[in-house]
Amino acid sequence: MSKTLSSIGNYLLLLKKVFSRPEKLSIYYRQTIREMEIHGLGSIGIISIISLFVGAAITIQTNFNIENPWLPRYIVGVTVRDSLLLEFSSTMVGLVIAGKSGSSIASEIGMMRVTEQIDALEVMGINSAAFLILPKLVAMVIFLPVLCALSVAVGLIGGYLVCLTGNNIPVADYIYGIQYVFYPYYLSYAMVKAAFYGFIITTIAGYFGYHVEGGAVQVGRSSTRAVVMSSIFILFANLVLTNIILH
Amino acid sequence: MIELKNIYKKFGDQWVLNDLSVTLEKGKCNVIIGSSGSGKTVLMKTIVGLTPIDNGEIWYENKNFTLLGEQEKQELRKQMGMLFQGAALFDSLTVEENVMFPLNMFTNDSYKSKRKRVDFCLERVGLSRKNTLLPAELSGGMRKRAAIARAIALEPRYLFCDEPNSGLDPKTAIRIDNLISDITKEYNITTLVNSHDMNSVLEIGDKVIYIYNGCKCWEGTKEDVLHTDNEALNNFVFATTMAQQIKNFRG
Repeated sequence: MSKTLSSIGNYLLLLKKVFSRPEKLSIYYRQTIREMEIHGLGSIGIISIISLFVGAAITIQTNFNIENPWLPRYIVGVTVRDSLLLEFSSTMVGLVIAGKSGSSIASEIGMMRVTEQIDALEVMGINSAAFLILPKLVAMVIFLPVLCALSVAVGLIGGYLVCLTGNNIPVADYIYGIQYVFYPYYLSYAMVKAAFYGFIITTIAGYFGYHVEGGAVQVGRSSTRAVVMSSIFILFANLVLTNIILH
Repeated sequence: MIELKNIYKKFGDQWVLNDLSVTLEKGKCNVIIGSSGSGKTVLMKTIVGLTPIDNGEIWYENKNFTLLGEQEKQELRKQMGMLFQGAALFDSLTVEENVMFPLNMFTNDSYKSKRKRVDFCLERVGLSRKNTLLPAELSGGMRKRAAIARAIALEPRYLFCDEPNSGLDPKTAIRIDNLISDITKEYNITTLVNSHDMNSVLEIGDKVIYIYNGCKCWEGTKEDVLHTDNEALNNFVFATTMAQQIKNFRG
């Protein structure tokens, strides 16, 4: 119990350090752009591939489950769209990025810790926590909603390809369905969730990397713990945010 | 000048630094010697503020470092340069970017002027035309020299070197030692070197402090080291059979 409280305290202290005044804004700006390239643009491929298959699978499953002559055929498109928007895309993007970028951030910062590079930054008079974590945090909070929107779009394309290649769902009904009674609010909801996930992933991975003690084995362990904890907190945040925003 | 007054530091139940008082003089290579685990690195880390002390005072000229706030400490640290045991160069940056890093962070100079300073520092440590290499492409000695170039880029007033020649062959080690000594004299800075290499101590130790079990056990010049009656220091300096034989022969 005391260890958990101490970890929470250290996490909050790290956040305080991260949000203190940057030494030089231009350097932080450049770093943020670099992080966007690494963690944002670098994740487009994997997010697109996963979303395409998930979108296709949801379409097949939805069609399978609502084969009812009383229900209009376009309901498949509506369900796929809303499933992706409300739940699948944001959570999927969160979990995938927690695995990909979360482990990368924890191990990068962890290696810097064990090779004394963080100490070198501190001795130079640089706030190492802010320098290493803040640009990643800004990049992730900005870029995760973009990835989420991309995931929705590619997921819908996946569903479209299923309609196109199979004979069960008419393409016109699917297209009509994905446009039927669209609430832009759903998209904002998904993007807000994704931004929160970006915050969770970066700060948790940063925390585990920043507090590594030991060598390569400990760096590996901290990276694994970062992914596990980020994933748990993403799912918890999903529940809380859904409850708050949709009520 | 750096003055340490009654420094105490404890890890768990063990005192790593115990009532340690030392004055590190300006323009001199102050060398701290002691066996592995004697508290040399902890002492250096407490002096630069990486490890907080349990009790005592650390004075940089007329500033009590232990009482400074985080912001003031950061300001003072801009006047420090440090060479770590493993060099601690930033892996993802080239040699030039590593040396330019403190200049980018703390000056508003033009790229041309920063580049000029980087070239000067690299030339000073004998690494001209190695600008584009990554740390992974450098040998151990070159990495240490690049780290020295980075440490002196902002013309520090205090230079800290933790085991500067550990893992290096004797010839490269002497080259690094001489470089540190020359820089100290040239810029008239306060230099602190941690070492357990007696060749290095006898080469550059203007002032030698021997630490034993976290306490200051002996203090003197490099010439005094060889003629001391201090038993613990003698056991440390003349630890090898060969060194013992030379001492007996001279005696």
